[in-house]
Amino acid sequence: MTELKNLKEEWKAIMSCMGCGDCGYSIRRAVGRYLTCPVKESKGEEGFEIYFSRGRMNVLKSVLEGKLPLSRELAEFVYQCTECANCTEVCHETHNENIILNTSKWIDHYKVWDALRKDLVEAGFAPLDRHKDLVDYMNNDAMKNPYGEDFAKKFEWASDFSNIKEKGDLVFFAGCTMPLRQQDTLKNMMKILIASGMEMALSKDEWCCGSIGARIGEYKSVDELMKHNLDLFKNMGAKTVFTACAGCYRTLKKDYPELLGEELPFEVKHITEVLVELLNNNKIPFKPEEGEKLKVTYHDPCHLGRHMDLYEIPREVIAKIPGVELIEMKRNRKHAWCCGAGGGVKSQFPDLSKDISKERIREAVESGADILTTSCPFCIGNFRDGYEEIEPEIKEKIQVIDVIDFIASKLK
Amino acid sequence: MTEIYKKLENIVTKKFISNSLIVRHAYSRVVDPLLQGIPDIVIRPKDAKEISEILKVANEENIPVVPRGGGDDEFGGSKPIGDGGIVLDMKRMNNVINLDEDNMVVTVESGISWGKLNEYLCHFDLYTGCMGPGSGMTASIGGGISHQSVGGGGCAKYGSCTNQLVSLEVVLPNGDIIETGSQANKFSQTPFNRFGNGPDLAGLFCGDNGILGVKTKISLQVFPRPPYAAYKTFILPRKDREVSSQIMLDVRRKGIDIYDLMYIMDVIVRLGTEFGLMPMWEQLKRKRGIIFYTIEANSEAELEEKVKQLDEIIVNNNKCEPLGPEISDGNIAKWHYAEQGHWQFYHNLWGVVPALEPLSCECFVPANIYPKYLYEIDQWDMAHSEDMSKFTKITGQRPISSSGPIFLIDGNNVELTCGFASFPSYYNGEIHEEFDEINLRLWKSYLEMVTKWGAQWYMMGQMASQIMVEIEAYLPDYYKTLKAIKKTLDPNYILSRGKFNFWED
Repeated sequence: MTELKNLKEEWKAIMSCMGCGDCGYSIRRAVGRYLTCPVKESKGEEGFEIYFSRGRMNVLKSVLEGKLPLSRELAEFVYQCTECANCTEVCHETHNENIILNTSKWIDHYKVWDALRKDLVEAGFAPLDRHKDLVDYMNNDAMKNPYGEDFAKKFEWASDFSNIKEKGDLVFFAGCTMPLRQQDTLKNMMKILIASGMEMALSKDEWCCGSIGARIGEYKSVDELMKHNLDLFKNMGAKTVFTACAGCYRTLKKDYPELLGEELPFEVKHITEVLVELLNNNKIPFKPEEGEKLKVTYHDPCHLGRHMDLYEIPREVIAKIPGVELIEMKRNRKHAWCCGAGGGVKSQFPDLSKDISKERIREAVESGADILTTSCPFCIGNFRDGYEEIEPEIKEKIQVIDVIDFIASKLK
Repeated sequence: MTEIYKKLENIVTKKFISNSLIVRHAYSRVVDPLLQGIPDIVIRPKDAKEISEILKVANEENIPVVPRGGGDDEFGGSKPIGDGGIVLDMKRMNNVINLDEDNMVVTVESGISWGKLNEYLCHFDLYTGCMGPGSGMTASIGGGISHQSVGGGGCAKYGSCTNQLVSLEVVLPNGDIIETGSQANKFSQTPFNRFGNGPDLAGLFCGDNGILGVKTKISLQVFPRPPYAAYKTFILPRKDREVSSQIMLDVRRKGIDIYDLMYIMDVIVRLGTEFGLMPMWEQLKRKRGIIFYTIEANSEAELEEKVKQLDEIIVNNNKCEPLGPEISDGNIAKWHYAEQGHWQFYHNLWGVVPALEPLSCECFVPANIYPKYLYEIDQWDMAHSEDMSKFTKITGQRPISSSGPIFLIDGNNVELTCGFASFPSYYNGEIHEEFDEINLRLWKSYLEMVTKWGAQWYMMGQMASQIMVEIEAYLPDYYKTLKAIKKTLDPNYILSRGKFNFWED
């Protein structure tokens, strides 16, 4: 039997789960709650209870009680979770601040899954195969990104922009996904910032933030990456670090201080927080509004919304774009359906990820939107993969576009 | 087991069956922190035919089978009693089959939840009336019918959910599939009435706690949701137990078709504010009991008249003090009805401190007598102080005995969810085996006390069904008859083996 050091720290959460099952089945129309677990729903008729929180909590009770050992089989099940934290949301919410579920004070499912993953890694049952590759790439000195790409490739996109500084108060952290998979979006971001008269610095020595390591419970490598990046920010004189990646945002703003045990000496912002300031100051020069308004719906990335409570600012950004009518999907904000990419699911279980993304795209179509936008390269990538496979009649009705690209398309 | 597994796999195909140890543990528990039974196999059947085949194999091989709907029961009812056997996960069968809008009868697969069904019905301005149990966001219609469930709202007006049952499709333990009510006649086009064509066989399966058959298709009478509703909350005067009881009797005597009427004991109000569960009641000077109601109507004038009558009873005759209209004023009734808090009402009474979970009793008693029982709960608690203090030494918190909200159901009866909340044997990194022993002993003692009140169990599961037999509470001829029915339908005691101690001999 392994030590279960991390799970034991989460005993209050595990033993306080009373097994109501709302993390699997909850539908409560009066407050906009329509189901909870994207993995369980994607499994459809094969959705055994092990695929959502209650079943997993029952298993973890047995693990803590010494009745069930950690195993590779358990790992295969529990990594089929996007860590979207919707189960925590439904578990905590009375929808009224005057009525409190005390379990909300000691049940945080994300922390439980994180502890379990750490223990599975420490016991040698994880990382799973594909995750191990990602961690190896991330640790490889010639790469330092989870995509297995050459280190220098990450900065190719920036060669078009001679005005990017090496040091400054405002530092952009590009991360790995956009520079290696969505360069056009980064270039569009630069166009917006340049048009707005904004200056920023970028280091061509930044490493992966370590998000993938943290999400799969492989923290050894995160430590080194974090220290490198923090030294970099310090040397650049950063007062604010911003990123266009929701995963990096969570890692920098939440994980780094927790791992360090202290506040960071700079502020961390998401691109939408930067954009909203520019919009509020009328700094972004838009083309004049023409034609009918486009109906745009916003998908809340889990790493921005439920993980970081950033719900309204991206909506403010979208609402300020000329010619746009912002409409909501049935499940939004705290109830938003996950895109399916998080928690290492995209890399290890790509079909599951795509299935979940298709459900979200269909929901966007149901809302009547012409455009589904979001502000996370991981969500965008997964939506694009799902979009490729989705029914033609759905494709005809909607486009998927990053909010940055959408704004860039409206620039003068 | 491999050969048996193969037989079962051939019935449902391999995607819908598992003997993974991990999956089996996922299905090994229900709401209480004490009972566990690890099945050998978990199956997610798609229809009555598959269930019939599964039960035939179970009979051939002498393997017990337990159906599991939402898995929200509190007495070990939807997991195996002891280890082994098959769990039938009914949640794959969760579709609406038909809505007969003219006759307002909905037919569903039994694994559908009350939340999902009511979401569907609201598009037709309909609802189920009785909204099932308090766990209705997850709990299944099949589980509700198997337990005569109440607690999810609407029970004062509509009674237990079995009141609105029209017909059932049931797979009997031997694999036969029967239909009841109007559907017993093969020429009937659509389910429309429960009673007739001979005895009420559907009634046999209502509240059977899963021992007589597996419900697969259920037709329910549904109702138009009235467009007007009022909801009010009041602080009770001294002697809140007696006064609340009097209010319930007065409302019934006056013939007002109240939708919900609930009493919350002073101890719950006090603990709710002490532990931070109910910020809305923190401003109350005296933490006395609370009573609240919901009333529905088809017009403003009708609503006004009903509210006037209720205020006459509650405020004028029984000296209760109304709280303000908003939830922030303490009006829990608004949350309960308008925000569908009725499906979350009990959740915040559990987990008040880490790992505190319910060892409960859910029963019906007459409305005129429950105050006496609440005093007996106080005495029971005092009598078991020594045992309770053993938890305090380790956890710093004594188990809590009381009753949750007490509410009017049909007739002059109330539902009493009483019991005690206690701690599991795993606590803060250590296993305290004595906790399990004390919990089991105290729970049995509590159930025995409630049984001896003459209370009527509806959700019985493992614990209450066995207690009834162990303390010989059943009239001998009743038990003999029940056992004979069981033996006739299930000669090998395949279904929910262990409940009611039928397996003993």
